[in-house]
Parts: sequence; structure tokens; C-alpha cells
Amino acid sequence: MAAVAGAIITALATPPAHAAALDRQVSEETKYCLGCHGRLGAVKRFSNGESVSVHVDPAKFKASVHRILSCTGCHEEFSPDMHPERTFRGLQQYRARASWICRKCHRNEELRTRTVHASLLDREQEGKAFVCADCHGAHEVMPVSGGKVYASEEKYCLNCHAYGMPMTFADGAVRSAVVDPVMIAASVHSNLSCSDCHFGFSSERHLKRRFRSEREFVLASAELCKRCHFDKYQKRMGSIHYKLLSQGRLDAPSCTDCHGAHYTAYVGKDRVSIARKCSSCHKKVFVTYANSVHGNALFNEANHDVPTCVDCHSPHNIKDPMVSGYHDLIPEMCSNCHADEEIMAKYGLSTDVVRTYLSDFHGVTLGLYKKQKSDAPYKPARPIAVCTDCHGTHNITDTSGPASTVLRSNLLQRCRMCHKDATADFPDTWLSHYGPTLKNAPLVFIITWAYRILMPLMLAGLLLQVFLHVWRFLVNR
Amino acid sequence: MIYDTADNTKSSARTNRIGRPSRIRRFSAYRITEHWCVVGLFLVLVVTGLSQRFYYLEVSQWTILLIGGIDATRLVHRFAGVLFSLLVLEHLVGVAFGVMFLRTQPSMVITKKDFLDVRHNIRYYIGLESRPSACSRYDYKEKFVYWLVATGGIIMVMTGFALWFPAQAVRFLPGQFIPAAKVMHSNEGMLIFLLLAVWHIYDSIFSPDVFPLDTSMFSGYISRERMVREHPLELAELEGVSSEEITGGWGDEPPAETQDDAPPGS
Repeated sequence: MAAVAGAIITALATPPAHAAALDRQVSEETKYCLGCHGRLGAVKRFSNGESVSVHVDPAKFKASVHRILSCTGCHEEFSPDMHPERTFRGLQQYRARASWICRKCHRNEELRTRTVHASLLDREQEGKAFVCADCHGAHEVMPVSGGKVYASEEKYCLNCHAYGMPMTFADGAVRSAVVDPVMIAASVHSNLSCSDCHFGFSSERHLKRRFRSEREFVLASAELCKRCHFDKYQKRMGSIHYKLLSQGRLDAPSCTDCHGAHYTAYVGKDRVSIARKCSSCHKKVFVTYANSVHGNALFNEANHDVPTCVDCHSPHNIKDPMVSGYHDLIPEMCSNCHADEEIMAKYGLSTDVVRTYLSDFHGVTLGLYKKQKSDAPYKPARPIAVCTDCHGTHNITDTSGPASTVLRSNLLQRCRMCHKDATADFPDTWLSHYGPTLKNAPLVFIITWAYRILMPLMLAGLLLQVFLHVWRFLVNR
Repeated sequence: MIYDTADNTKSSARTNRIGRPSRIRRFSAYRITEHWCVVGLFLVLVVTGLSQRFYYLEVSQWTILLIGGIDATRLVHRFAGVLFSLLVLEHLVGVAFGVMFLRTQPSMVITKKDFLDVRHNIRYYIGLESRPSACSRYDYKEKFVYWLVATGGIIMVMTGFALWFPAQAVRFLPGQFIPAAKVMHSNEGMLIFLLLAVWHIYDSIFSPDVFPLDTSMFSGYISRERMVREHPLELAELEGVSSEEITGGWGDEPPAETQDDAPPGS
């Protein structure tokens, strides 16, 4: 029993193993500040004649829980280049203001969970301000119990990472390694422990890694996702983003750029947030899309039938849209919705648009090109016009109303890409997705029906002639 | 086929036992060549054309891929189409030349007799006449096939060129003519294909009159026996006798087959 109690006491009293390593390491900036503030004798004087020593004992600071913070992490308005002169009425005001610094990280909600602090907050509401440093000291803040046993690994890590932990990179950039416990609890990964993703890290071990830049750190961190989401990772390897990344374009997005790191929410069918994610890089395209008939319906009418970015570009294996293989797939993409009777019926749109395209010259040619491709790489001499060539890609407009004139001029331009001599009347050769009727294409309609009637009549006549001829022959015999 | 250049004097070399030729020259080498050129081009055009019309069928896609893809298929189709157009042109020029300068008889012209022959043959088939109608060089069935193929061929050539060069066609035609030409080209091709596949193949292979094969388009000759049965008026003209002598009056007389044994006419 005594042995068990002894072990617990030892565990309580032993500081984390990595603390010793961090103990000796303070940031370059901190060393710079301590150059003056580490010396005894420096004093700050106030208007009322009171004064306070601005000496920081380096040894005590290095032993404090905040040793991993740099000076400017708390004293935000100061830096190695800037040392603003500030005036205070007296020591009391100065100490009260210093408490604000603490409460930027240690928020009221957190303080209220402890009875002792809750009573202080109540007193504050009555007008009696409290000073954190009265109990905890300023630069020498120690762990309350000199080392705790944490309920979970997450709580252990959040003990530091819930506050603004600065990470400095080789290029001098600083990033806060802060993790919001509320957000992480709301994320899809709330049931995971920190080291499930951050393998190699634990309460015993805190790797010291060096990254050239913040971007390199982000990209390296994104590699953590593949341990569980290998299927998505593999798909991404075939994407244009991965291709760019492998060519050295470090700004090409990786997992966490779209999904976030610790706050990964279930994306699912939230088309608005998907489009917004893409917009963080593809701003111009996003604006065009937002003004299109699809984007307008999504953002202004909250219509979730319309396609968002990933419906055409797919979510992970995003292909290069500038290659002919992608271009040839466009009618399929559009027909995902435009050939769906159920969806189109809601908007009074005809599914004939896809059928008429696919059964006409261009659609048939495209379909056969694709068949050819399955055997060997095939490059048509001229790319066949597909939906987007006339209707636009991200700027697809309503085909009725004022925008229809734009459509018609698009049409002629597109025709001329292959039919070089096309005149202004040339687009009339295309019946605009309508089947021939007596009204819109009388000639085509009449010819179609003439053959529909004549051909069976002729065939029946011929067969009758054959039948009578054979019959007569048999009768004569 | 409108005028005939067959030289029947050669046919007199082979005669039957009563001094009449046993076979008669029906088609000249020129017509035979023309016919087989049409057959060859027609087969190429049908294979490459119908696979485009029925693009959704497995067999069409197989054919197109075998040829080397849709672009290659179209190239073959258009090349054969150009040759076919030249053949149509040659035929038209030949007909015009023959009629104008050689004073040949345009034997494919549809006459009032053809309609009477149709009526007569229908009556014959249902048992109201004892003999089929007596026809000249081309009977109404042959004229029907000829005119459908000839007019169809011209339609195919014109619509085919409009589809090949739509931008140029639209310079002097309304835009709607292009989809109309497509419907027409596709259906007319199908129509000619059905006509030939059903009727012509029956008439020259499966018909009990010629089975197993009508060889006249190979050898150029037709038996006198068949001439008597199928083209008695032409035979009468060739042999310089009255049609009654060939047909035996075409009334209640015995069938033409037994006529061979009858004494020769004047």
C-alpha cells in the first residue's frame, strides 16, 4: 500500500520529462530582452512617485510554466525593435493592467470553473479588481501543484497548447501552436487522442523539429492524415494539386488546407462551405461561379441541387481541367443532373438537352473518341465542342432572358474554332437541343416523318411482293 | 442502264438445236463494270455509314474501332462517297450522251404500261390472270429499284456534301437544311439499303426463278428461256418477230417453257 502511495506521490511530483530539455531553451527574442531585464537595478517609475523593479530573474523564468513563451507572447506591444514608453498613475493601476495580459489566454469561462477564481470574478463585477500576480507571481508562475496527473492525454497537451504557443521557423516566421479545446471537441476527431495523429509525441516525449518555413510544417503535418485516410491520400496523389506540389509549388493545397487541422468538421453535403474553401485560392473563379446560374442559386436561394466545385472537379483526385481527357468528360458531368428527370422536373428543365447533344454529330463523335481512348492514347485533331464550350464553364447563365444573346455569340465563336468559314447564320444548323417540331424546324420535322411513313410502307410493299411471288410459284407447281 | 449497248450478234454463236440462240447478251461489259463499282462502293458506304447511324450498337462500335476510329471511318466514308459521286456523274453524263448522240432507247423510262403491268401482275398473283405481264427490257420492278437507287444516290451525294461542308452549304442555304440533310442522308441511306437488301438480293439470289444465282451480271448473258418468261417484248424485238410469237398469245396457251419445242418463227 505504502509502495503504491509512494509511486503516486513520485508521479505527482515528477515534472514531465521534456521539461528538462525545454528548461535550457528560451527563444532568441527572450535572450535579447533578458540582456537588459535580466540585470538587477532597472526600475519603472510611476506618476505618483511609486516604482517597480523591471528585473526578471532568468533562472526563475526558465523554471516557470511560461518558459516556452517568448516575451512578446505576453508583452505584445514590445519587440526587439520597439520599446514604447507608457505612463501609469501608480503601481496599483500597473498591476491591474498586467492582469489583462494573463486573461487574454486564461479566459473568464475557464476561471469560473474554479471556485477560488469564480469568487474573484464576482468581486470584480462589484468593482474590486484583482491582480493575478498577487498569487501567482509575474514571470515565475509555477504549476499550481508542482505537476499534475491529467485525466487524459488531451488534457495534458492542452495544458500548454490551449494557450498561444509560438513556434518559430528557420525563416523567422512564428506560428501559434494553439488548439482550441472547444473546437476540437466539436470536430469529427473529438474521440481521438493527440498522439493518434501526432505519433512520436507523448507526455514523455516532445520532439524538437526544425522546419524551414511555416508552409513546410503545414505540409509535413498534413502527411499525418494518411495513416487513417489512405484512400483519400491515394486519390489526391493523382490530383493536379499533388502534381503542382511535387513540382515544388508549396502553396498547392494539402489535406489540412481544405479540411482544417484540429477543427475538421464533417463536410458532407455542405456545398456552400466547399465552394468557400476552394475560393481561398481560386478567388476569381469563385466570383464567376457565384454570379452564375448555379452559384446564384446556391448562395442566394440556398438551393442545394446545384453543383458546387467538387461535383465537377471531384473532391480529392482533382484533375487538370486543361487536358482533353477532362474536357471529354464534361457532358457526363452535366448529365449527372441534367439527365436526371427528378431534379430537372423541379425547375421545368428538359432532360432532352443531354439526349439531343449525345445523339447528334458532336455527341456521337465524342462518345466514339472516348471508346478509342480506352485502347490507346488518342488525340483528336480538333477538340469536339461540349456543353461548356457554348454555355460557359463557371459563368453558366440562364438560357432564357438577356443572357441568351451572350450564349448565341459564344456559340458562333465556338463553331468557328473548328468550322473556320462559319457565317453568322451557321449556329442555325444546330437545333438548340430541341427535337424538330413543325414550329421550330418544319423542314427537318417533315422529312423525318416522311421517312417514318415511307420506309415501313416501302418495306411492307417489298415483302408483300416477295411473298406473292413465292406463293404464285408454289401454286403454279 | 437506261440505254443498252449489248451486242447481241455475238450471242448467235451459241444456238439451240432449232437454230435460235440458247442465251442472249443482256449486259455489256461497261454495264457490268458499272454495276460492280456501285456494289463495291455501296458496301463500303453502307458499312461505314450505317455504323455511324447506329453508333450505339456494339457491332457498329466494333466496326468503327476496327477501321481505326470515327475519324478514319468518316474519311473512308467520304472517300467512297466522292468515288460514288463520280460514278453518279459518269452515269448521268453517259445517259445524256447516249440519248443525245447515239440515239439509244432510254429503256428505264417509266411508261403507262408499267402501271398496267403492276395491276396485271397483282391480278396474276391472286389468280385472276393466268400469265404474268409481258415486259420489255426492264420490268416495273427493275425500274422501281433503278429509280429509287438513282434518285436516292443523287440525294445522298447532295446531302452528303452538305454534311461534309456545312459552313459552305449555309452560305446559300438556310441553317435548318443541315439537320434536314442529316435526317435525309441517314434515312435515304437506310431506305436504299433495305430496298437492295430485301428486294434486289431476293430477286437475284433467292427468287425461285433464278435460284441459286442470277448470273447475268457476271457473264452478261441470260438464258433465252428466261428472256421468254421475263422480257418477251424485248426478245420479240431482238428476233424481229411479233410479241405474240414469243409469248404464244399470252392467253390460255401453254407456258413459255414448252414453246422452245415449237417450230421456229419466221
